[in-house]
Amino acid sequence: MEVSFELNGEPVTVTVEPHVSLLDMLRDEMGVKSVKKGCEQGECGACTLLLDGVPVTSCLVLAPQVEGRHVTTIEGLEKNPLMIDLREAFIENGAVQCGFCTPGMLMSAYVLLRDNPHPSMEEAKRGIEGNICRCTGYTKIIEAILDAAERIAPE
Amino acid sequence: MKPLPRFQYHAPKTLAEAVQLMDTLDEAKPVIGGTDLVPLLREAACSPSHLVDLNRVAELNYVREQDGFICIGATATHAQVAASELMRRAPAVVDAVSRIGSPQIRNRGSVAGNLCNASPAADSAPPLLVYDAEVKIESIGETAIVPLQELFAGPKINSLEPNELVTEIRFPVPPDSSSSSFMRIARRKAFTLSVVSAAAYVEMDGGVCSEARVAFGSVAETPIRAPEVEELISGKELDDETISVAAEAARRSVAPITDVRGTAEYRRAMCGVLLKRAIKTAVGRVD
Repeated sequence: MEVSFELNGEPVTVTVEPHVSLLDMLRDEMGVKSVKKGCEQGECGACTLLLDGVPVTSCLVLAPQVEGRHVTTIEGLEKNPLMIDLREAFIENGAVQCGFCTPGMLMSAYVLLRDNPHPSMEEAKRGIEGNICRCTGYTKIIEAILDAAERIAPE
Repeated sequence: MKPLPRFQYHAPKTLAEAVQLMDTLDEAKPVIGGTDLVPLLREAACSPSHLVDLNRVAELNYVREQDGFICIGATATHAQVAASELMRRAPAVVDAVSRIGSPQIRNRGSVAGNLCNASPAADSAPPLLVYDAEVKIESIGETAIVPLQELFAGPKINSLEPNELVTEIRFPVPPDSSSSSFMRIARRKAFTLSVVSAAAYVEMDGGVCSEARVAFGSVAETPIRAPEVEELISGKELDDETISVAAEAARRSVAPITDVRGTAEYRRAMCGVLLKRAIKTAVGRVD
């Protein structure tokens, strides 16, 4: 079947079987490798992207379910000022170890700061509660998010 | 991981089309967020020939007040319900749906799906049980409204016929003199199944609790109400003594099992603790 949707602002049409996940369609059919394949059960958050602006785990979305909808991966936010600040804060705070969780972590952090520019420590933790880092680098990730918040909207 | 099994995909735009499809297709399953169903498909725990996606049925997406009821449409997500102004009338429901899974899961999973999955640990169930929730079940030419408890037939087994869809969950608009609370114990704060959970609803008349309802998750084959506990607190002043007696009765009333998440003894003990806290929080929330 054909699925037409908007990927990072560009209209696309893909021929895909209905039992393929959005994650597999992006990685295998479209070459979008920033969405990582971790648990495939919606538990690790490595495949997090934005569906109509809200974060979802793309391993749990069926390809045909995105018909007519807007999908944003981290590539689509490359020039976004908030994402640029977040990215730099992640690098400077040492919030990246193996990097596998990073795209998903950045997507969740982006939505957190987009919706709440001054999160508390607790709110920052809750914002990334759906993203697992197996290098156990949460402290630095949370520091990076709070640092980015300070850069974007100093109090 | 295994790929998903093959199935035919249907995306009806109206409820009439959806019930028609559920009626005519063999081995069809409805899907909303897929947050429970997709992992089950991957584990080959079920292998439907057809999936009927309800997300495009616009008439099923709402949280609204109607005819004295607060109504949750089948495709309303946890995030949608948690953010609903109306749901502030039922704080236990918000307690539960605002902590289910993770932000990603709450943006995708529906309350109706959480209930139909019929897990004894479904966090949306105990709060809705204490609000005397009902589910609207539709099939071709038929609509039935049944108490939520009747949707649960056993662990992960719902009572729906293959052609039936849950289209709405509703409960009476609670009185201003009421409030509620939901609490759970889990290995972690986020993204984990409850080891034990409790919901309490109280209606206060001055210092007296004129009506109380309590429910538990993960302590029986299905989420359950505990009428024998409710009787002990309804019509009473809720002092520490009364609440302790209720907690003891709760410990006696449940039938938990030992599994990977916790032992039966621990669950039994903790359901008393959670009940005490839930009652006190609910009372504290009454204006």
